[in-house]
Amino acid sequence: MIDDRQRVTGQISYVQDLALPSMLIGKILRSPYPHARLLRIETRAAEALRGVAAVLTRNDLLNSPHIDPIYGPQIKDQPVLALDRVRFVGEPVAAVAAEDAETAALALQSIEVDYEELPAVFDPVRAAEEKAPHVHEILHQVRLGTSAYFGLRPVAGTNICHHYRLRQGDLEEGFARADLVVEATFRTPAAQHVAMEPHAVLAAFQEGGKLLVYSPTQSPFNLRDLLAEMFHLPPDRVQVLVPTLGGSYGCKLFPRVEPIAAALAWQAGRPVKIVLDRPEEFVTLNRHPAVITIRLGVTHAGSILAKKVTAYWDTGAYADCGPGVAQKGGFSSVGPYRIPHVQVDSYCVYTNLPPNGAYRGYAVTQVAWASEAMMDEAALALGLDPLEFRLKNILRDGDQFATGEILRDVHFEECLKTAARQIDWQGTGFERTATAEGRLRGKGLSVILKGMTTPSRSEALIEIDEEGVVTLHTASVEIGQGVRTALSQIAALFLGLPYASIRVPDVDTSLTPFDTRTSSSRSTDIMGRAVGLAAQDLRRQLLEIAAPRLKASPQDLTLAGGLIHVVEAPARRLSLQEVVRQAGRGTLKGRGEFANTGGLDPETGRGIASSYWHQSAAGVEVEVDPETGQVWIVGCHAAVNAGRVVNRIAAELQTEGCIVMGLGSALFEEVCFDAGQVINPNLSDYMIPSFLDIPPKLGFTLLEQPGAHPHGLGETALPVIPAAVGNAVADAMGVRIRDLPITPEKVLRALKAPPTGEAGAEEEEP
Amino acid sequence: MIDIRYLEPTRLEEALEILAHYGEEAHALAGGTFLALLLKNSLIAPRALVSLHRIPGLKTVAEQPGEGLRLGAMVTHREVEKNPLIRLRYPLLSQTYAQVANVRIRNQATVGGGLVDADYASDPTASLSALGARVHTWGLQGERLIPVQEFVTGHYETVLQPGELVTEVLIPPLPTQARSLYLKFRSRSSEDRPCASVAAVVALDGEGRCRDLRVVVGAVADRPQMQDELAEAVQGQRLTPELIREIAGEYAGKIRPISDLRGSAWYRERLIEVLVRRALTALVAPTASVSHGPQGEGTCE
Amino acid sequence: MKHAISLRVNGILQRLEVEPHHSLLDVLERHCGVRRRETCGIGMCGTCTVLVDGKAMSSCLVLAPLAGGTEVLTIEGLARNGRLDIVQEAFIDEMGFQCGYCTPGMVLAAHSLLRESPAPTTEEIRHYLAGNLCRCGSYEKILAAVHTAARRLAAQSTEVKKK
Repeated sequence: MIDDRQRVTGQISYVQDLALPSMLIGKILRSPYPHARLLRIETRAAEALRGVAAVLTRNDLLNSPHIDPIYGPQIKDQPVLALDRVRFVGEPVAAVAAEDAETAALALQSIEVDYEELPAVFDPVRAAEEKAPHVHEILHQVRLGTSAYFGLRPVAGTNICHHYRLRQGDLEEGFARADLVVEATFRTPAAQHVAMEPHAVLAAFQEGGKLLVYSPTQSPFNLRDLLAEMFHLPPDRVQVLVPTLGGSYGCKLFPRVEPIAAALAWQAGRPVKIVLDRPEEFVTLNRHPAVITIRLGVTHAGSILAKKVTAYWDTGAYADCGPGVAQKGGFSSVGPYRIPHVQVDSYCVYTNLPPNGAYRGYAVTQVAWASEAMMDEAALALGLDPLEFRLKNILRDGDQFATGEILRDVHFEECLKTAARQIDWQGTGFERTATAEGRLRGKGLSVILKGMTTPSRSEALIEIDEEGVVTLHTASVEIGQGVRTALSQIAALFLGLPYASIRVPDVDTSLTPFDTRTSSSRSTDIMGRAVGLAAQDLRRQLLEIAAPRLKASPQDLTLAGGLIHVVEAPARRLSLQEVVRQAGRGTLKGRGEFANTGGLDPETGRGIASSYWHQSAAGVEVEVDPETGQVWIVGCHAAVNAGRVVNRIAAELQTEGCIVMGLGSALFEEVCFDAGQVINPNLSDYMIPSFLDIPPKLGFTLLEQPGAHPHGLGETALPVIPAAVGNAVADAMGVRIRDLPITPEKVLRALKAPPTGEAGAEEEEP
Repeated sequence: MIDIRYLEPTRLEEALEILAHYGEEAHALAGGTFLALLLKNSLIAPRALVSLHRIPGLKTVAEQPGEGLRLGAMVTHREVEKNPLIRLRYPLLSQTYAQVANVRIRNQATVGGGLVDADYASDPTASLSALGARVHTWGLQGERLIPVQEFVTGHYETVLQPGELVTEVLIPPLPTQARSLYLKFRSRSSEDRPCASVAAVVALDGEGRCRDLRVVVGAVADRPQMQDELAEAVQGQRLTPELIREIAGEYAGKIRPISDLRGSAWYRERLIEVLVRRALTALVAPTASVSHGPQGEGTCE
Repeated sequence: MKHAISLRVNGILQRLEVEPHHSLLDVLERHCGVRRRETCGIGMCGTCTVLVDGKAMSSCLVLAPLAGGTEVLTIEGLARNGRLDIVQEAFIDEMGFQCGYCTPGMVLAAHSLLRESPAPTTEEIRHYLAGNLCRCGSYEKILAAVHTAARRLAAQSTEVKKK
């Protein structure tokens, strides 16, 4: 891996390690109320403190003609600092820049704020009702952000900021013809990304009013455009630099702390660095809590005729990319199945919780938890093997998905069969009786499809200078997924070079060509194609220059080991450096660009949702202690469609990482709130998986297809895990838990108190 | 501004005088893991920190015939975990201390510090209670020997007076043929503190009748919970599955557990029954190792 | 009130005036050019692991005065004369990292494990490293790296014995 030596010697510079001359440290004062009118802010004592360079409040933002204080990636609804009211516990109300962190913290303590509390709402289903307190006083004068790539459909007079609809067939008819209808509601909680590197930003206004921002962002160009708009600057007057990230998992997808740091730097006239502490991370961005109701109509023979999904996504006080989550969660909730009659209503709803946004798996974890559970419940009601039931309905190559698109490169069946085989799936023949210790045994399966941002675009630039040094410029950011290594491997293939000899500098929006963003596991695929094209462009130029000098035509030449030689006569050769120098044109540049296209009709939700569908399945075997409710993961296997693997060890790491994260979500991860306040904002009260939480048998299969294109693997194995664990636990217990995480207490409660009929099957008379 | 004096007395008397001088405005500093958290979050603002690191004699690990084990207040968790004498003679202790937090904390945190913090989810406090340990304290007014179960009075509260120090913990000799076990139940990650725990010591006579029984339930209330009368009542009886079930039921019925993120009172009540029953069942099993021998894993897993 | 301490950080003697309520992590950053990475701030994650007199500790939880008179080893001091430690090499060879943020702490913890127990079992490694969290979930490869380091360590000591 590129930078591996730096990684083991502590030499990687993350944003928090950076400094600029005369840099100040910024800190943020946060709201103690979930919803309140902001009355008075008194900052004089803070301003008078020695060492305090700037105190920023709404007054500075509202009175300045230079700042547009509202931003947001998809809906412009979030103020840099609270303006007239606060909407969640932890919302930034004021910010201080001081010579050091202790002084800044002291200054925060001396700021006085008066609030007048307002009614708050914390549940997305309640918040979606018309009579619920409005989180935003003026609803739905929707101003689009730069990352709204689909049609937003707010619902007037409610907290619903986006309603994604998908309609296929005739739902009523589908249910009318069904032999059996099952319906249930499922919940998933907020979860924290817990990237080890916290959010950190270093911002500075340079001479001439140019804004320089170091940020661990996954979206350098979104950030650039957003800050340019905020400070009324042309985009080229904002320079965003992105060093290596210390993990993200979605939490650094869109801007959050950057606007505050930039506004402080503007106010202070000096560079400002802000590094969040761990509790602040928990009020900056979490995973969307979701409430998902699924109604499934099936025939006795096991065909799915109709599916109705109603999903509520709690996006917190600000939309962030919640509309995108509701959209993708919406069409993904159909699952990888052929279903003639489909109706999906997916609502993105404001509440008075901290903002929720992108989280590895991007809504599919939540919908798979509900949808794949319903598949098992339907199979159980029909008396069918859950594997057989899935295979009977699974999408195959050339099938039409509910959005209307025809699917190609389809391997759900292979994923599912592999996962089942790896946990020795025996269907109904599996012996569930207790082990010697009295534990119950169970097995579960799940399979998902997950979209990739469509449309999107990536550009790549490869240069070779007169010293023969090859440099690859792409805006794909290094999060730990090894994207820079994978992309240089792709380039190296065409240029006949060892990949390690290719320089891959950090992203700098003033130099690096455009990319939509590093998200939705698209970089190895979409940027990989752009890099391939750029490398081929450079290769063509090099061969054309070398051809007359080697007295051969370009098609008789090849590149290998940093040399161009005649295929038939390897002794006739030139080094790349010689070729560049002899051309006399200075640095040579190869360019590549790739875009995927598509989009959905806002009315019907139909069209091209994704240019490629990520595909995976999981099989999980559990043991359950019926006296304590403890769940042991005995075996766990994920099978993902990898296409062609570029960097095997990185692909393995990403897949294992997905499984580990999925197990945390399945068994214990949950951000807990009391009246809107996070009550476990630290790593003692919010647990993440450790070495000892990894099951002894953790396996995966990377399914490769001959001639296939590489596919991203950053998220694919995650959403299947909680769903498969849930199915295995239900298999073991004979009772189902419908809200994540599956804690021992919930298991025990479920075992002690059989279902109350909240959900269940109804026989329909044909 | 925060202004703290750091003092490093080299004699116990000197430390006691300093502590007496500052009263509640001084904190004694042992491993400092808990103090560092309190200071970082401005939950305390002492005028002085009094380090105990230079005071000789606080790191003793010694066993005297008939008297039991003397464990200096400044002995680290990791030392208790690894010490060959403790592993051989008081396996319950090494087993319990080995399960506290992580290696880094155990390298730093001390026996005395852990007791004084009086955290309700402390592992060692439960086991020390089950072993009948006494806390040896010193103040300018003199010394005290306080049983562990009286030492901790509530959430983060002890009987320790301002100016008083814990110097050592005295663990009486285990009854001959005693068997012991610490069961720690975590409801979330492996790194979690216990949702409930049971420390149990059982001694049986040659006929398999109970000569001594001590069962302490940890992490379910503001301090470790034990039922002394119950232990006395079963003296001389055979610990049959029925009797064990009865004892476990009594524990579950009498303790009023707390609710927190690790589990509700309802859940803890059920856990107490299961864990007490399992601990005792394991201890009376013919295969259970008697004291002075190696112990099993000691968790429910 | 400042308190004078002297300690060795990566072999270099440092005489410092520290605030008693500051942590060793604060001190390393302010005075010793070591990067400050406080990730959980409560000793749970292991990112800020350093070795104090050879013992792994969370530098965020060690009060600065307690570091007086000790030898502190940070990740910056593990490689000698540009030569990587056997554990660092094994982490590279097995690719026992993704984002690399937990890696310094993980490498130091593994280093201290191998000093205590040169040929650890898988269970020993899992228990010892359980307090070092890797959110990327690279545990399987980290495990392989520690085994590899242990194997090389054994080979090395056999070689030394032969000589």
